[in-house]
Amino acid sequence: MKRWHIRDIILVTIIAIFMGVIFWAIGPVYTILAAALAPFGLQPLANELLLGIWVMAGPLAGFVIRIPGAATLGELLGAVVEMFLGGIWGASTLISGVLQGFGSELGFIFTGYKRYGWFTLAMSTLTTTIVTFAWDLIRNGYAAYHLPFLLLLFCVRLLSVFVFGGVLTKLINNLLVRAHVLKD
Amino acid sequence: MNPSLKLALITLIALEVSFVQVWTVNVVLIVVSLLLMLINRVPWRRLLLLTIVPLFFASALVWSLMLRGDASTHFLIVIFTRMFVYVYMGGWFTLTTKPLWLTRSLEQNAKLPSKFAYGFLAAFNLMPKIQAEVSTVRAAALMRGEVLHVWSPRLYFKVILAAMNWSDQLAAAMTSHGFVEGAPRTHSLTVPLVARDWWLFCGSLVLVQVGLFIGLP
Repeated sequence: MKRWHIRDIILVTIIAIFMGVIFWAIGPVYTILAAALAPFGLQPLANELLLGIWVMAGPLAGFVIRIPGAATLGELLGAVVEMFLGGIWGASTLISGVLQGFGSELGFIFTGYKRYGWFTLAMSTLTTTIVTFAWDLIRNGYAAYHLPFLLLLFCVRLLSVFVFGGVLTKLINNLLVRAHVLKD
Repeated sequence: MNPSLKLALITLIALEVSFVQVWTVNVVLIVVSLLLMLINRVPWRRLLLLTIVPLFFASALVWSLMLRGDASTHFLIVIFTRMFVYVYMGGWFTLTTKPLWLTRSLEQNAKLPSKFAYGFLAAFNLMPKIQAEVSTVRAAALMRGEVLHVWSPRLYFKVILAAMNWSDQLAAAMTSHGFVEGAPRTHSLTVPLVARDWWLFCGSLVLVQVGLFIGLP
């Protein structure tokens, strides 16, 4: 199995910084969306809709670097960048970063870091959604919601993670494969 | 306080208050973090931002839980104060810790392999170049009448290509300057890790445990 070398470490960090800049840039979008939905008691939906963008660093790093731990490290570093750029959620950003990264890492673990296609992405989407949702059940008190609303939140999150962490990552991967930078 | 221990402390406390529901401890943590920020002369505008944003999110979440769930008042207060614990503790950490000093401390005190420490630092110094690259890629696309959004694969594709180029060059540059992975290193600047840091770290953790488990509301 491949091991970490200085080039891979720099690469995963640069990708994480790039994603961190994006995480940070969509902060205001999140706030506006949340404000629009808040009066109806739907504020968590804003979180669910955009979550896919926040968790993208994981699968992207996992696909480009293909070393065990890449997804976790990519997402964690993205969270660090967001934190130091002035994201306000502090320590909980780091915890979420590790969990989101590990969630998508699980998808790669289940396929043994051997297959890099739709199946892995679908797995990764599912594991990311489950891990992060379990965390929100505890952290944000989601466990107190009525079941139908909880299911709605879960489905929206799954969809969002699939669109950004799955479809978009696959499209980026396709471009990289066509450019002969990555193997299929 | 030593940066690595500080990071460990806020992460552990944040993790713990996420599981245990004691709002009085949350309030104490908020007050202590606020005092620490005031002592360290954090600008007022920053403090205001650190208060207004979570105020909005915490209220919206509580409102949503009231409308669509069946949480007790106690639980709602816990959730509300918890948000502020995250934000204030995080604010204290980020506003009083320099990333460079943190990385050095992680390498020297927390025994992070030096290839990671220097790899991170090398990449973090490219931050302005990365931001410039994003604007360049977007401008270049605009010249061909193409608008690149957050959801455009092409934007990511081009930036990843640039990232691969840079990481090759940086790694080569570091190797040619004598950086050897895993080789023993000396440090021109050492980050102190003294008994006082450990006392502060353990003391705070013990205090939090006492607060959480003596039956406070």
